[in-house]
Order: sequence, then structure tokens, then C-alpha cells
Amino acid sequence: MVNPILLIIAPLSAAFIIPLMGYGLKRIVKFIPPLVMGFNLVVSLSLAPKVIKNPIIVFLGGFPPPFGINLYVGPLGILFSCVISLVGFIVSIYALNYIKQGAEQKYHALYLLLLTGATGIVLTGDIFNLFVFYEILCISSYALVGYTGEKAGIESASKYLIQGSLGSSLILIAIALLYGKFGTLNMADMASRIDSVHTMELFFPLVLFITGMGVESAIFPLNAWLPDAHSSAPSTISAILSGIAIKIGIYALCRVIFTIFGATDILQFLMLLGLVTLLVGEFSAFSQDNIKRMLAYSSTGQIGLIVFAMGVGTQYGISGGLFQFTTHALSKSLLFLTTGYMIYRAGSMKISALEGMGKKMPLTSVAFTIGAFSLIGLPPFIGFPSKFMIVYSVLARQSGLYIVFLALVLAGTVIEGAYFFKVIQAIYFKGERKDDRAKEAPLSALIPVIILVLLIIGIGIYPKVLTSILDSSAAELLDRIGYIKEALK
Amino acid sequence: MLIQSILIIAFGGAFLTYILGKASSALRDFLAVLISVSLTVLIFLAYGKTGEIAFASFMNLPLVLRINHLSWFFAIAIQTVTTLSVIFSLSYMKGKERVDFYYLMMLLCNSAMLGIVLSGDFVSFYIFWEIMSWSAFLLISYNRGGALYAGMKYIVMSIIGSMCMLIGIMSLYSTYGTLNIREIHDLISTASGEYLLFISILFLAAFGVKSALWPIHVWLPPAHSEAPSPFSAVLSSILIKMGIYGFVLILYVISGAALYLGLGGGSFRYILTLLAAITIIIPTFNALMQDDAKRLLAWSSIAQIGYIILGISIGTSLGLIGGLFHFFNHVAFKALLFLAVGAIEYRTGTRDLNSLGGLIKKMPVTFIAVLAGTFGLIGIPLTNGFVSKWLIYKTLILNNHPFLAFAALVGTWGTILYSYKLIHNIFLGQLPENLEHTKPAPASMKLPFIILSVVIVLFGILPGIPLKLINLITASLGFDLLNINIWGIASESGPLNIINIFAAFAVALIVVWFFFLISGKKVVISQDNSYAAGIDVPKGKYHYTVDFYNPMFRMIKPYFRDYMDEFYSQLVKALASLSDRVRRLYCGDLGVYVIYIVLFLSILVISKIGLNLW
Repeated sequence: MVNPILLIIAPLSAAFIIPLMGYGLKRIVKFIPPLVMGFNLVVSLSLAPKVIKNPIIVFLGGFPPPFGINLYVGPLGILFSCVISLVGFIVSIYALNYIKQGAEQKYHALYLLLLTGATGIVLTGDIFNLFVFYEILCISSYALVGYTGEKAGIESASKYLIQGSLGSSLILIAIALLYGKFGTLNMADMASRIDSVHTMELFFPLVLFITGMGVESAIFPLNAWLPDAHSSAPSTISAILSGIAIKIGIYALCRVIFTIFGATDILQFLMLLGLVTLLVGEFSAFSQDNIKRMLAYSSTGQIGLIVFAMGVGTQYGISGGLFQFTTHALSKSLLFLTTGYMIYRAGSMKISALEGMGKKMPLTSVAFTIGAFSLIGLPPFIGFPSKFMIVYSVLARQSGLYIVFLALVLAGTVIEGAYFFKVIQAIYFKGERKDDRAKEAPLSALIPVIILVLLIIGIGIYPKVLTSILDSSAAELLDRIGYIKEALK
Repeated sequence: MLIQSILIIAFGGAFLTYILGKASSALRDFLAVLISVSLTVLIFLAYGKTGEIAFASFMNLPLVLRINHLSWFFAIAIQTVTTLSVIFSLSYMKGKERVDFYYLMMLLCNSAMLGIVLSGDFVSFYIFWEIMSWSAFLLISYNRGGALYAGMKYIVMSIIGSMCMLIGIMSLYSTYGTLNIREIHDLISTASGEYLLFISILFLAAFGVKSALWPIHVWLPPAHSEAPSPFSAVLSSILIKMGIYGFVLILYVISGAALYLGLGGGSFRYILTLLAAITIIIPTFNALMQDDAKRLLAWSSIAQIGYIILGISIGTSLGLIGGLFHFFNHVAFKALLFLAVGAIEYRTGTRDLNSLGGLIKKMPVTFIAVLAGTFGLIGIPLTNGFVSKWLIYKTLILNNHPFLAFAALVGTWGTILYSYKLIHNIFLGQLPENLEHTKPAPASMKLPFIILSVVIVLFGILPGIPLKLINLITASLGFDLLNINIWGIASESGPLNIINIFAAFAVALIVVWFFFLISGKKVVISQDNSYAAGIDVPKGKYHYTVDFYNPMFRMIKPYFRDYMDEFYSQLVKALASLSDRVRRLYCGDLGVYVIYIVLFLSILVISKIGLNLW
């Protein structure tokens, strides 16, 4: 059996090797991220079948918890790590040709660090360890947003930095409060001692966690950094931020709410939060004429949908939320990657500048269309089964209030459909493009795009490939007692 | 096996056509026709077969295909129209841009519609429904310009409808644990009245949007007039009928007549018939006011949908037969009319009724086609439209609905007026100078004209052929079998016998002809002579057909504005300004953003300390 710790060690060490390779081996630096991420993908996939049956616990340094740090490699962690390494792999192939100017090595090193942080968060079983990886993730994303050195990028990176640090410090306070109370940092150990969140000394850390992690996971009104950061970063970074980074925030949030606190009383609040995030995100996206900002706002809308589904709190609802997470990771990274070269060729981020691209960049345009259809939830793409699950899970609760919520969520979908269809019309049916600059994206960009398209259609037609891991992941989140038992065995 | 192969050929053929189009356009055209024709043959062979087959599973739900008389009836109508439209497209689309894409979407939409009528459970129904929606959207937007707005309007309303349907479907699933249509039918008799009403309203919204029931019809006129003409024919004659299929499915196949009539204490049926009557009257007069031939036909489609729904919603055997037969007839004559107008646009470059005229000698076959089509549309005896309208009238009168019958009658008057406007402004009157060299429609366009005209007249004279099948359908939905012979219906409440009508018509014709002969002393007065007291009028600048029915328009125009459309436009404007305001929450000021975070935290804390909400 492969030790799951390799999933963290491989990208981390590669990230530090890259600057060293800068002396003499500059040309092959850019091949390291795809290699490492490919390795991670293979390891995650090979672990998945075992983990679904029984989670793997790894003790770091040989001390069992609560004394040492442990990795808890359950179905949920593996699901996330699979998606992280998959999207990371695909985006890094795209970056081979796309990232040309600027500090190339730093880009690749930071990119791997970001993914290290993300993988670490989803695998660790220790809350402080989680915080450390969380900071690795956040700091490397701040740096990547501003890496081109343009004014807009630096400005939004520093805004992101300030809001992100505010969030992180809240998390740190929460961890300190819990450590002060229980004297332990192990999540399972902590969870075993918490049976109610109604006392103030437990409620306050929970609220701090929600606010702090809400910043990274882009819950309204904590997501104001997102549209700037996602739209001014290079498209590969936007893809990874939208596809992975914000979802890791949601993972952390769910871990805290479901596993550590077992706070099922606040689920309805979570649902409401998701609903508001969704509606605000979709409304804001609707009136955008900048394609990347539109996609960024649409990401907050999707985050809202995921949080909403998590808030349903049933087995089916959480599976649906996790499915939607996968959908969004694949579809949104596809959308950012396809617009990447469209923007590059058009020289502008305005939607009107993309008119007539359908003829000049046919494959890219089709891929964009498929990504958009999938996000709206049209069959036969991956977005349909996930939306299907969410809608079912809400209706299965058999409550009038939930039907009203659902109607509002679906109204958000209608708005989403409206702005995506507008872009599709612009790409295909508006304007004639005479310039010769617009030609099809290079092969290194088309391959990742095609892989994503195939995945989106494949899973859309045959969602069964995901159901077993989704179900056991949802079960892991809901079965708090089981988690504690496994981790402290 | 047969059903699966139909769908596999349909979907596979669509993509194959696209791929082949990259290599050779002649081969692509050939393949498109071949696939459509072979599908027609295959569906034809499936006549009389009934059966159900699970072909895949989706999220642990079996996906089921089934065929019975009802789905066969719709399938053959779909495939015939698509085949004829594809044949029509051969010359219509020649030399246009993205023809591969056009054929792909046309065939994909066709496959999805076949899938809808052949699916035996609601998941596959929904999947095919959505594929139909987005492929139609891509084709409606095809013509650029105004088509973009039309496409947006269509797809937004369509998504709203399908979201309603999604809630309805998932609610059925969470209540009954199955989505198989047959099983739901068996289980639904235990449902409470409120739940049934809830479900029915959701489906009413979904199918109402698609079939353009007033007041959710506003997407139809722009979409049908802006789409490429062969696809307009598909849209108007088939795609909107998927809504009709949905109505039949939810009202009769799922609920059954008894439950449907009792829905909401009978008020559901009452409201539906009322909506249908409004759908007849308002769009008929809107059609009258159009100067764009396709827009006129589009409005007319809404009105005819009103007739179909009126027939279906009454809830008697005769009404259902009339509605279904009118559906079939409308498929024939509306496809014919859209294709004919397409041919005129193809040859003259315009479909503006004010600048056409006198084409009767230039395009005689097209004239005959439009004549047959409008006769069917009006319901002139010896065309199929007469029989179905007769059945619908009969139902309304027998069930004591004089006002609804009157509404239907008013609709027919309007139909006569706009049909005459259509045929007069295009074919009669004087030929504008710029159209003097108009060529007749090409052969690939004439073929669909001839076939559809024959269908209209044949089923007008021998209505028994389709009525026998429709009778079987209604019987399978739990109604009594009616006594139908090849000439019509022999019911207790007054028979319909086309032979008598035929004879009466022949006698009338002879009498008229006789009077025409004995009084036939016509005086030919040249136009220049009769007008303006002999002063020379330049022919090119004066045109008879401009402002047709002008005095009437001045009278009715204020009452027949499309208020619903204006209402929706206002709504969209309000939403757009709301969304702009929401966007301004992200003002760009970091200080404000930090305040958001702090505020969020404080509200949560206050909710605990101050309000003790948790």
C-alpha cells in the first residue's frame, strides 16, 4: 500500500526543488507540476477503493493521537484529493505554454505549494495542522494572484491578503480558545469532548470558525475579495482558485461544523447562507460585461449552491453538495481555461470582444459551451446529476419552507442560464471577426480542455462512477461517532 | 429493440451528419435525408406495437423507453415533419454558413423529441426535454440579429418551465419512490387533492411555456419568426406540441380523466379551458395585425394551440379526439405554411407582407400549398381542419359551454381574415416590379408542399384513417370507444359524415358555377382607369397590399397590444436594475469589505448573546 503521506510530501518537496533547479535546469521546471500532480492523481485513485471500505490513519512521527499529528484518509479526504490532483494536473498541462512571462519558476513553486496546502487540509486530522496547511494555501494564492506584477493584480492580491489574514486570525483565535478549553488539537479528540454548542464558550469558537473559513470559501458577505482576485489573476490561477481553493474552505467549514462540533442545529442557517450567497452571486454575475468577473461571480453563486446542499444535512443532500463540488471544479476550471486563450487572442476581457470566436476557435468555443451547459445543469452533462441530487434531497425533506428555498435556488439557476446563454450567443452568433490574430488555442491548451470535456460528458451520462465515493464521503461527514472511533482507535 | 434502434439511429445519425459535413457537403445532405427517411420508415413499422424496455439506469433509477399508440402517433408526426423540413433545407440552406451545425442541431432536436414521446419514465423525459430545449435555442439564434433576442427570450422562459417541471418530477419521486410513468399512474390515485393540484400546476407551467399557452406565450412569436424557415416549421408544428403531449401525459396518462376533472373541485379544468379560450382569441387578432408573414403564422400557431388545449381540457372522449386530431392537422398545415413562406423568402428575399404580391403566376405550386394550408387552418370542409374543429365545436356545445364555443367561433373569424391577408398579400394583387423575375420554388421544396397538401385534403375527405388510431388512443386512456368509420363518426349525438358534406359541396359548386355562367358579363377596367380619375399612377410606387385591414386595425389595435410581453419586459428591466444594485455591494473599497466581515461576525455573536436565537 502506498503511504498517503506521499500525497503531501511529493508536491511540497517538489515546490522547494523548483527554485534550486533554477540554476541550470530552467527549461524542465515547468514539467515538474504535471509530473507531481499526475503522481498524486494515480496515488489518490489507487487509494480510493480501499479507503471507501476503511479509512486509513497515518501517525506522523509514530505517536498515536491525541499526542501526535495524524492523517485521516477517509473517503471524503480522498474524494477531495482526487479532484485536487485531477484539476491540478490538467491546469498544469495547460500552463506549459500559457505561462510564459514573469517569474516562471516562482509561479510553478507557488502553484505546487497551493496544491500542497489544499491536499494537506483535506487529509489532516489535526486542527492546528489544518490551520498550517490553510495558511500555505492562502499565502500562495495571495502571491499567485499578484504574480504578473500588473497593477490590478497587485491591488486585488493585497485586498485579498488583508481580508484573508483577517479570516485566518479569526480561525487562529478559535483554535486557541478550543485548545485552552480541551488541551488537545486533535480533531477527533476534540470532537469526542464536545456534545453541545449551546454554551457560549463553544458557540464563540464555532462562530469564529464560520466567519474565518467563510472568507476563504467565499460565503456572502465575506467574499468581496473573490471577484477582484479571480478576475485579475492569470486564467490558470483563476481556474485553480475557483475550482479548488474556495472549495477547500468549504471542506474545512464542513469538517468543523459536522465533525468537530456536530452542530446540526445551525444547518438551516447554513442553508440560508448558501441561498443568499447564491442569489447575490448570480445577480452580480448577471450584470457583468467582463467575462472573468462574470465567471468569478458565478463561482460564488455555485459556492452558495454547495453550501445550501450541505445545509440540507441529509445523506443525499451532502452527497449532492459534494457532487456539485466536483461538477463545479471540473466545469469552472474548464470555463476559465477556455476563456484564457480566448482573452489572450482577443486582447480584452470584455464579453463583446469575444464575438465571433466560435468560428476562429471552434474547439475552445464548443468546450466553453459544454462547460456553461454543465454549470446550468443541463443534461447530458455532469451538472445535471448533481443538480438532480440536490433538488431531490431538498424535496425529500417534505417541508413547505424548503420548497420555497428550492424555488429561489432554481430562480438563481435561471439567472445563471440567462448570462451564460448570452455569452454563448456572443461567441457564436454575434459579430464577424476579420483579424487573423484569433486562431485556435495551441495543443497544450486543447488537451486539458478536451480531457475536461470528456470527463464532464462521461460522468454526466454515467454518474454511477462517483456515487459510491460520494455516498461514503457523505456518511463520513454525518457519522461523527464513527470518525472519532476510527481516529482514536 | 425497435425503439432503441430508432433512438440510436436518431442520435448517432445527427453526429455522423455533422462529422461527414466536414468532409463533403453533398454526402452530408444525402446522409441527413437518408437518416430522416429511414427513421420515418422505422417508426412507421412500429405501428401498433406496445411495450416497455429499460435501457439504462441513472442515479439508481431505471431509464425506460416505451411505445404505445399515443407515442407512436406523436412520433410519426415528429418524424414526418422533420424529414420534410430536412428535404426542404437541401436547397434552402445551400451556401449558408455553418450548415453542418444546422443539420446537427436539427437532427439532435428531432432525436430529443422522439426521445420525449418514447420515454416511459420522467428522468429520461426530462433529459430529452432539456436536450430539445438547448438544441432549439442554438437553432433559433442561428440567424443572428433579432434572432439573438428571440433565442434569449425562448431559453429563459424554457428554463423557468423546466425548473418547474424538475420540482414536479422530483416531488413525485420523493413521494412515490419511482418515476416510471405507468407505476406513478397506479400509485397516484391515493394522492391527496392538494398534492395533485400542486403537481398539476407545476407541470402546467412547464408545458404551458413550451406550448405557448397564454399568458406565457411571449417567447413564441419572435422565436418562430426569426428561426431559419425549415426549423420554424419544426418549431411551430412539432416542438410546441411537446407541450400538448405533456398535457395529455399529465392529465390523462398520469392522473386519468376522473382525477383530472375533480382537480381542485373542478376549478383546474375550468381555468385551463378559460386560458385556452383566451389563447384562441387574443393571438388570433395579434396575428391579424402582423406584416411579417412568419410572425403572422407564429401568432396563428398560438391560437391553434388554444383550440387543441380547449379540446383536450374539456375532458370528454369526443373533446380529446378532437384535440388530438387538431394537433395532427395543425402539424400538417402549419408545417406546410411555414415551409411555403420559407420558399417565398428564399426566392424573393423578403417575407414582408407589404412588399410582396402577385406571385400566383410566378410560384403556382407554392400558391396551391398556401391555399391548402390556409383552407386547413380556417377549417373549410373537405380539409382536415374542418373535421377537428367540428369535433371541438361539437364537444363544447354538447357539454354546455356556449361561451367557449363562441370564443372558438370568433377565433375562426379572425383566422379567415388573417389567412386571407396572407394569401392575398403574397399571391394576389399586383406584382411589384422588383419581383418580376421570381423563379418558382425548387423541386426539393415542392416535394414537401405536395405531400403535406395531399395529407390535408386526404384526411379531410377520409378522416376515419387517423380517427381510428386516435380512438384507440383515447380508449387506452380509459374512454369508451366511439363508432368510427372511414368517412367520419357515427355518434348518438349527431354523426359526422364527410360524404354528405362532399355532396353538398359539389351541389353548391355546381350552382355557383351555373350562376357564374349565366351572369358572366364581366367588364374589364384597367387599374389606371379606375383610380385617380384617369391620372397616371406609377405602378411601382403604389401597392395594394400595404396597410391591409387598416380601418379595422385602428379600431382594435389599442385592445390587442401584447400586454403580457410588456409586463415581462418591465419585469426583466426591474431585475436587471436590481442585479446592478446587488453588484454594487462589491464597491471596491477595502474598508467596506473588512466591515462586512466584522459585521457578519458581530451579527452572529449578537444573535446568541442578545437574542439567544441558538
